[in-house]
Amino acid sequence: MGPFDPSAAAAAAAAAAAAASSSSSSSCSGGSAPKRHHHHHHHHPPPDLDGLLAGAGYKVRSSELHHVAQRLERLETALVNSAAHIPHLASDAVHYNPSDLASWVDSMLSELPSSSFSSPCLPSGFPDPYSPAAAALGGGWVDHPSCSPHPQPHQNVVVPQQPQPQQQQQLTVVTALEEDSGIQLVHALMTCAESVQRGDASLAGSLVEEMRALLTRVDTSRGIGKVAGYFIDALGRRLLGLGSAPASAFENEVLYHHFYEACPYLKFAHFTANQAILEAFDGHDCVHVIDFNLMHGLQWPALIQALALRPRGPPLLRLTGIGPPSPDGRDVLREIGLRLAELARSVNVRFAFRGVAASRLEDVKPWMLQVSPKEAVAVNSIMQLHRLLGSDPPRDPPIGSVLPWIRSLNPKIMTVAEQEANHNRPGFLDRFTEALYYYSTLFDSLEAACPVQPDKALAEMYLQREICNIVGCEGAARVERHEPLDRWRARLGRAGFRPLHLGSNAFKQASMLLTLFSTEGYSVEENEGCLTLCWHSRPLIAASAWQAAPTVVNSPAGVINHDDNNNQLSCSPVPMLSIETDIPSSIQ
Amino acid sequence: MVHHHHHCKEKRPKFCINDHVDVLAEILKRLDGRSLCVAACVCRLWSALARNDSVWEHLCFRHLSPPPPSSVRPVVSALGGYRRLYMVCIRPVLSRLGRSRRAELPWRVRSREELQLSLSLFCVDYYERLGNGSGGGGSRFGDGSASASSSLMFLCKPVNV
Repeated sequence: MGPFDPSAAAAAAAAAAAAASSSSSSSCSGGSAPKRHHHHHHHHPPPDLDGLLAGAGYKVRSSELHHVAQRLERLETALVNSAAHIPHLASDAVHYNPSDLASWVDSMLSELPSSSFSSPCLPSGFPDPYSPAAAALGGGWVDHPSCSPHPQPHQNVVVPQQPQPQQQQQLTVVTALEEDSGIQLVHALMTCAESVQRGDASLAGSLVEEMRALLTRVDTSRGIGKVAGYFIDALGRRLLGLGSAPASAFENEVLYHHFYEACPYLKFAHFTANQAILEAFDGHDCVHVIDFNLMHGLQWPALIQALALRPRGPPLLRLTGIGPPSPDGRDVLREIGLRLAELARSVNVRFAFRGVAASRLEDVKPWMLQVSPKEAVAVNSIMQLHRLLGSDPPRDPPIGSVLPWIRSLNPKIMTVAEQEANHNRPGFLDRFTEALYYYSTLFDSLEAACPVQPDKALAEMYLQREICNIVGCEGAARVERHEPLDRWRARLGRAGFRPLHLGSNAFKQASMLLTLFSTEGYSVEENEGCLTLCWHSRPLIAASAWQAAPTVVNSPAGVINHDDNNNQLSCSPVPMLSIETDIPSSIQ
Repeated sequence: MVHHHHHCKEKRPKFCINDHVDVLAEILKRLDGRSLCVAACVCRLWSALARNDSVWEHLCFRHLSPPPPSSVRPVVSALGGYRRLYMVCIRPVLSRLGRSRRAELPWRVRSREELQLSLSLFCVDYYERLGNGSGGGGSRFGDGSASASSSLMFLCKPVNV
């Protein structure tokens, strides 16, 4: 092998990336090297020629590697910026001897009007600078799908004697503007995702590096730059096998809280659910709410207050809050329960709280909730059901066991709020694309709605966690398995629920709530009885309500159905304040 | 000279509004929020009257017809009082909603729902202040400002009279 100049190694490796295989260490004289009809295959290249390139069919002196690499980069930039000359160059390419790379690139450069560009070039790994037609396509990301699959280094090594006519027609020169860097980023992300789906980890890895380089030329404080940054990080983590960063329950709570403050999504979900629950509880004097994710209990003050102002007086309210077990001996659930109890006491609502600490929703068993048959039950799930859709095969997703036990509680109403997106498709590329568009919209709305720091930054971190999980994890670890409303309708229908239409009150309240946020762009849409919050008519969050579908049992006396009429005034006496916390024994 | 005055005008004592607190209260009840705050800066008597929660209750429900049920008062008092309700919730809600008038719905209906929404937000505000006040556990809710709870930051920051 010829001497390999270490100082030019980086430049040469980049330049050679398209010529050799993607890892510079592997020899390419195997089967993929092209055979030029006028070029003899050398077993022992002359000592001053670079060995790797010689194996690919190019004669470049090692001492000239750095120079050639630089000039190739300049040629690439020049081609991108001089649209008019490309057809001319393409048709004249056969006049030059591409195997003598140094003189070829010099003569190409001399052909072009001005080749002195000081701006940094495109990452040289992307296009193939050796093939004239392909080089001219280096900036043409817009026509990406119709080009030869990008970038396949092996194919780029083949230098066509004649330029393909269809490639000439597809030439679209894109100038080095910010916008186009954004477009390049998106295309690069798609390519990377596609290579991940195919299992080509080395290509994906090099693409991630190149995308990071692209990021330096894009404004990462807003728009596509910011979102792309998160997705690139997530891809990087996936390739390293890191998955999502582990998060403590405390961190989750802090991020959740700031997400609650920064944007209207959670407030919309809470207020809509509360309105539906309030209407469902009309006429009942013992009511029981089961919250699948208590967090700080921010949803419940408004419900307590609304119940306090009921015309017939407040009912006895029991709240069962499910949440993760707290470390370091604190009992967060109990603290939240105490706060809610104090609020209830000040407005004279009889209140009882029970906390159930479980790290996963599927670990909760119905008996822990201690539902009494005389009370009206409301089950509240804000962005929790989708977490039950994933599992490590061969186990079934836990949703199959959770929905039945919810149904067995015979709830008067179940309120469900979920992200309106399809991030649970089996193919990685589909998921990735969907997620990219969804989170771009979400970040846009965050940008407009929340100028306040640090809320915005922490809210973005909250979303970044979701992105990392969707892109970086698989199996049971991937919990962010969002599904759109139609699929939830079907799933809940199969599980024995039927939809409950959210009324006009809920709609009006949601519209008013959105108007309070100081930005145009949000709107509420009604979708067959469910409400969706949209940003510029792209739905983001869907809130819906369900009731247990009556099961009809034939008996001699007639039809018995499970519609309950719980209008009893006598509930078992419960003290004014009652706080209990339960930790399922299967956990801990 | 003084006798001349008494001759020309009928014998009438000089009228000072501060001697007639009930009249003053009636007048203050009819002011808008901003004027009420200004009035509270006039003198101690006016300040005391302006801080009286019933004046603010009147302000909150002025446009509401029929007036809200009597059960509202204890709830609002427990959650912080009408003055706070007005400053923290009602005023921002009305001013924000006023920006985007929708002509279809009559003014009254919207007021009732606006009131309901304001009460809900007010309750969340109270709840968060409970969290702020509970020492170490509450401090994680961010800024320690006692007057504004963080979840209502998306409304304007209230001015404490």
